[in-house]
Amino acid sequence: MATTAKRRASETSDQNIAKAHKKCSTHEKTTDSGPEEHDNKSEEAKESVVSEQENDHESGMAPDDKEIAANKAAPRRNGRATATESHDIHIARETAELFKSNIFKLQIDELLEQVKLKEKHVLKVEKFLHKLYDILQDIPDWEDKTLAEVDSFFKNKIVSVPFVDPKPVPQTTNYKFNYKKPDISLIGSFALKAGIYQPNGSSIDTLLTMPKELFEKKDFLNFRCLHKRSVYLAYLTHHLSIALKKHKLDSFLQLEYSYFDNDPLLPILKIFCSKPTNDSPSEYNFYKTRFSINLVIGFPYNAFEPKKLLPNRNCIRIAQESKEVSLPATPLYNFSVLSSATHENYLKYLYKTKKQTESFIEATVLGRLWLQQRGFSSNMSHSGSLGGFGTFEFTVLMAALLNGGGVNSNKILLHGFSSYQLFKGVIKYLATMDLCHDGHLQFHSDVESSTSSASKYINEGFLTPTLFDKSTKVNILTKMTVSSYQILKEYAAETLRMLNNVVQDQFSNIFLTNVSRFDNLRYDLCYDVQLPLGKYNNLETSLASTFGSMERVKFITLENFLAHKITNVVRYALGDRIKFVQIEMVGKKSDFPITKRKVYSNTGGNHFNFDFVRLKVLVNPTECEKLVTKGPAHSETISTEAAVFKSFWGIKSSLRRFKDGSITHCCVWSTSSSEPIISSIVDFVLQKHISKKALVSDKITKQFHDFLPLPNLPSSSKTSVLNLSSFFNLKKSFDDLYKIVFQIKLPLSVKSILPVGSAFRYTSLCQPVPFAYSDPDFFQDVILEFETSPKWPDEITSLEKAKTAFLLKIQEDLRTNRPNYKSFFTRDESIPYNLEIVTLNILTPEGYGFKFRVLTERDEILYLRAIANARNELKPELENTFLKFTGKYLASIRHTRNLENISHSYQFYSPVTRLFKRWLDTHLLLGHITDELAELISIKPFVDPAPYFIPGSVENGFLKVLKFISQWNWKDDPLILDLVKPEDDIENTLETSIGAGSELDSKTMKRLSERLTLSQYKGIQMNFTNLRNSDPNGTHLQFFVASKNDPSGILYSSGIPLPIATRLTALAKVAVNLLQTHGLNQQTIDLLFTPGLKDYDFVIDLRTPVGLKPSCGILSATEFKNITNDQAPSQFPEDLNALSEKMDPTYQLVKYLNLKFKNSLILSSRKYIGVNGGEKGDRNVITGLIKPLFKETHKFRVNLDCNIKPVDDENVVLNKEAIFHEIAAFGNDMVIKFDTD
Amino acid sequence: MGIEDISTMKNGFIVVPFRLPDYKALPKTDEAPLHYMFAKRHQSANASECDCLFLINLPLLSNIEHMKKFVGQLCGKYDTVSHVEELLYNDEFGLHEVDLSALTSDLMSSTDVNEKRYTPRNTALLKFVDTASITNCWNALRKYSSLHAKHPEQLFEWTYTTPSFTTFINFYKPLDIDYLKEDIHTHMAIFEQREVQAREDIQSSIVDEDGFTLVVGKNTKSLNSIRKKILNKNPLSKHENRSKPISNIDKKAKKDFYRFQVRERKKLEINQLLSKFKEDQERIKVMKAKRKFNPYT
Repeated sequence: MATTAKRRASETSDQNIAKAHKKCSTHEKTTDSGPEEHDNKSEEAKESVVSEQENDHESGMAPDDKEIAANKAAPRRNGRATATESHDIHIARETAELFKSNIFKLQIDELLEQVKLKEKHVLKVEKFLHKLYDILQDIPDWEDKTLAEVDSFFKNKIVSVPFVDPKPVPQTTNYKFNYKKPDISLIGSFALKAGIYQPNGSSIDTLLTMPKELFEKKDFLNFRCLHKRSVYLAYLTHHLSIALKKHKLDSFLQLEYSYFDNDPLLPILKIFCSKPTNDSPSEYNFYKTRFSINLVIGFPYNAFEPKKLLPNRNCIRIAQESKEVSLPATPLYNFSVLSSATHENYLKYLYKTKKQTESFIEATVLGRLWLQQRGFSSNMSHSGSLGGFGTFEFTVLMAALLNGGGVNSNKILLHGFSSYQLFKGVIKYLATMDLCHDGHLQFHSDVESSTSSASKYINEGFLTPTLFDKSTKVNILTKMTVSSYQILKEYAAETLRMLNNVVQDQFSNIFLTNVSRFDNLRYDLCYDVQLPLGKYNNLETSLASTFGSMERVKFITLENFLAHKITNVVRYALGDRIKFVQIEMVGKKSDFPITKRKVYSNTGGNHFNFDFVRLKVLVNPTECEKLVTKGPAHSETISTEAAVFKSFWGIKSSLRRFKDGSITHCCVWSTSSSEPIISSIVDFVLQKHISKKALVSDKITKQFHDFLPLPNLPSSSKTSVLNLSSFFNLKKSFDDLYKIVFQIKLPLSVKSILPVGSAFRYTSLCQPVPFAYSDPDFFQDVILEFETSPKWPDEITSLEKAKTAFLLKIQEDLRTNRPNYKSFFTRDESIPYNLEIVTLNILTPEGYGFKFRVLTERDEILYLRAIANARNELKPELENTFLKFTGKYLASIRHTRNLENISHSYQFYSPVTRLFKRWLDTHLLLGHITDELAELISIKPFVDPAPYFIPGSVENGFLKVLKFISQWNWKDDPLILDLVKPEDDIENTLETSIGAGSELDSKTMKRLSERLTLSQYKGIQMNFTNLRNSDPNGTHLQFFVASKNDPSGILYSSGIPLPIATRLTALAKVAVNLLQTHGLNQQTIDLLFTPGLKDYDFVIDLRTPVGLKPSCGILSATEFKNITNDQAPSQFPEDLNALSEKMDPTYQLVKYLNLKFKNSLILSSRKYIGVNGGEKGDRNVITGLIKPLFKETHKFRVNLDCNIKPVDDENVVLNKEAIFHEIAAFGNDMVIKFDTD
Repeated sequence: MGIEDISTMKNGFIVVPFRLPDYKALPKTDEAPLHYMFAKRHQSANASECDCLFLINLPLLSNIEHMKKFVGQLCGKYDTVSHVEELLYNDEFGLHEVDLSALTSDLMSSTDVNEKRYTPRNTALLKFVDTASITNCWNALRKYSSLHAKHPEQLFEWTYTTPSFTTFINFYKPLDIDYLKEDIHTHMAIFEQREVQAREDIQSSIVDEDGFTLVVGKNTKSLNSIRKKILNKNPLSKHENRSKPISNIDKKAKKDFYRFQVRERKKLEINQLLSKFKEDQERIKVMKAKRKFNPYT
């Protein structure tokens, strides 16, 4: 008892420190007390708390709480159960304060547990490390050697000296090389015990510090120390390989050179194990642990004067023509030299911080996972790819922030913070403080004089990411490029938003999803740029002329230079059309055998260390398709800016006068239906500025765009996918009609005319084209409401008749007063069992069609009454009828209004949804899935993009939709959508971050009110839970899709047959798998849009006598796109009966077949025959699935409801042949082919 | 026992096979496919359903004409006489399975909803003019059924009604306006007449078993709204948790007046916190079991 009490006391005291710290932190933010003062405070706090605890170990609660806790704890003396309970209360209360929520903490705990290193593995590798230490100790010292002597020493050896470029020559090298015993120590995460399990293995960094006597004072200049190190490394490698042989370790140990963090100036030796061949592997074989060991050769601390290696100094002296031009700074070189001398220093620094901060390691692990999932590492990012910010940089930043970091050196993080608070603090700092343009962070890593000064944010930026260590003069972020930094910042901002999200659980988005696995999902546009290789190619000569010695010392390698140049060119050319640009040198290697000097062996040539360049872009949807790239204003004397602009764009540049009278330099581009403007710009500038022979592949984007049906409209092939004018024309035509109908005198006045058709929300598969009346979406639904009246009949048939009477009046008025409007009536079958609905179809003089239906306040009651009155076995049918009615008449209004409203903020939503619908129809699913459901699924990547960004291209949005479906486990997870516009600036949400109990301004409040609140969200979740309680496997309803418009989540997704739902998931899974394994190319994209007809039980090919493609308003790709199609109708027929001649008969055929066979078969077909019906639009297929239940024999019953044949005198089986005959008879001359099994 | 030997099912249904016409789109099969209809004499107390054959699995788009033709053929073959009157309850596409009108009001239907007659999907009743007819037909059917085993070539070939291309596009044809007007006019006239009747019925006082008179407002058209509770039947809120409305007394009462109230509230809060915590722990366990914490999947 006593010991538990003590433990409890110590626990609570720790917690109280944490709380005290927290309190101080909030306090400090405003008053800025110094760190020392703070320490005292917390010290005091600790003392007082401890003394209090001596009296009462339940302290830390308010007196009232104590009482309750005591009450709760009272029976403890009797039983153990309550003891744990009060302990739980404690944890629960504490986590509520220290973590985002309890569940978040528990999730973090689980995650940390998951990624823990296996103790067994650590012991195993440690055993080898000891052995390695002994071996390294045995390497004999050397004597001073000249370069010539070194060369001859290695001449007949296996090992080569990994000299960095430029290789030293004996004539000019008058310094000596040597080997003396190094000082060996472990550095990095393994040493800090912050390593985690990684499936691809992780590396253990072992530092071998060269003794100081090997260097002279000025060795930091001109690669001297680097060359010395290369020889040192080679000598070590040579002896190590001999020693391994001697100790019989060479059979499984492998040695390889590598560049540390991809830094070409820092070759290291990598030791790894091969798979053991026999059953009893050597005790030193650590293959199973998946570790590899890096031998990093370091320089002694303070070997060189740090000041001379500041980022703005030049340390590579080259011959220059005139003395006036100062040599360029060599930041990369300086960093490489300086950081090689500071490894141990940082280890100590981090170790000390770790000791002071309880949750430091946990936060480090969180940071590491977060970075890994986003593709960040400590690797150099100068030759492309994300990098320069890995776990090391994260921990150093965290350590710096624990010691200040604010503008007044105020502490950003406190030692008592929980892992979550530490992590969030760093993320918030990254998201909100600019370390590149506006300022930088200074800190002191000096362990001894830690009291000297705190980290401080300085409002002065160096145009490069800067986290500057005053003690060592190292800029920790040197390896990071500006573009890399910008993306990191954006991710941090996004993560901060997720952490602040109290409504949805964002844990897996933050830590578990790897967003860097598939470029096309992560970036909006990807271009593969082939740079022609070969001896006499233009690029190299042109590059060689620009890549002079000045550039060489600055950028070190040609790859760095090229990456820098391409990034700059693209950035300048695309301006605000894009948000971020990222370069990757695909096929870049950093490992090479110990027999080689460097990565690539083709000596002599300027060959690149990569296969091709991948240009990855995140698009700014609001600006990406603007026609004009505006440059500087025109002036009499040409400004430098204008000169740069003109020379950059060359022939593309021109002078233009704008409406406001200003004259500016600019470039004009033309839009196209098949490629974004960005593609043409990239093509142009890369050829102009990088190489004439640069091949930019943009086929993928084109291919996706071409899957969107091209409307038969003037210059449609020159219209951007973002252009919605075809929809606006339809809306305009509706507005005119709206005014007319409103003015008509009727017994009841019109209350509202609400458009609900998919074209009003820009999501109809085909764009609206005048007179294209074969398009299934041609007649756009409109709901007409009259002022309330008690006189509507209280019986549904009569009610419908009364509605029709009103429509007849409207029709009459139109016929007499507006002869240019045509109208007619059709029966509507959208509501099952209500056969009396009649709609008024109006054709406008502009060539559009609208279908008017009447809604009264009585409808809903009547449908509900029908459910109540029906006998039980019919109730489900009637409920379905009610859902259909609600979906069509009530929710459609909200749905249309909502989507139309927010889609203006999600520019790519319309084309992405239309492409998604095309995909669904290609796979014959659109007949089963309502338009609304497809639209809601496809808006998911827009309104809830995390952990990705909002899609900025058609392909990206479409792939994200597929990705989402492939991962959606609808059995367990609802899809809850918050259909609001994106948050334009994150400032507002930042207010509510940790510690800051700031007031919410009215704007934030307003936005908050639009978003789903926690209780609404919980309510929807509860609906889902209840639904799944009654239908645990989702056999009746699979897709629960809810939003504010429909909290029930079942409105649009009920009635989908289970095999169809699983097929959708399966198809998406196959598609995503295909793309992830084979990448995006012409074949894979074509496969994506090829229906798998083999999976069905039977397939029936249909052909209609009339091709419907022209009358659906679609242009064929082969036709001359600018000439409008002759066959396409350009007016409505005089006799409206003739309209039906160009309607799709297959739709009706399938509808009736489905009605007949719905109990035993699932029949699918294409809805958009004009889009998917072959070249003429006269083809369709019916595919049939026999429900599993009907594949077996059944006992003969009266109510079996399927076409059967007897097996014996008791049992029957489905009579497939007879069914085929029935279908053949029903389809008659339209059926051209039957495929059965 | 082969399929052709089955002429009667165990529960008394006669198997009535038909040969089927060829279609060139259909793949050729070795055996000529047959359609099987099942028939049994219908027994019912209902007068309108006497002299009926209960039929299961009628061929596609069958109507009374088809049945007449078939019975004619059958009688011709076996030299007997039988007359068919009508085909009842044949609702091939299930369009009339639900009578919304009757379910929303009893104004327009003559019979009570619960007494509406129907047969299961894919079945129908074939009504004969008299008992002799059905007996003759029944006997002929028995003979015909056994034909399958001995002389399959003599089985009748069923002729489907095949809709043409025009049939399907006719669904898109505009409704004739004059017809529509006429239809609405007649229907509304009947409706109004019945409504007036219903209103009069209501206004003439209704006295229930206990002797109370039901008072009805003068605007009430029918008893639908009074008689039938439709609350809580909305399928959309089926899965919602319903919360009790707060009563007026609860609203006014102070909740933090007594010390015990504060204590109780705090106790409740802590208990809630604890149960939430426990719940979360359970959730984590479930998630863990599903391997939801692997960052490397």
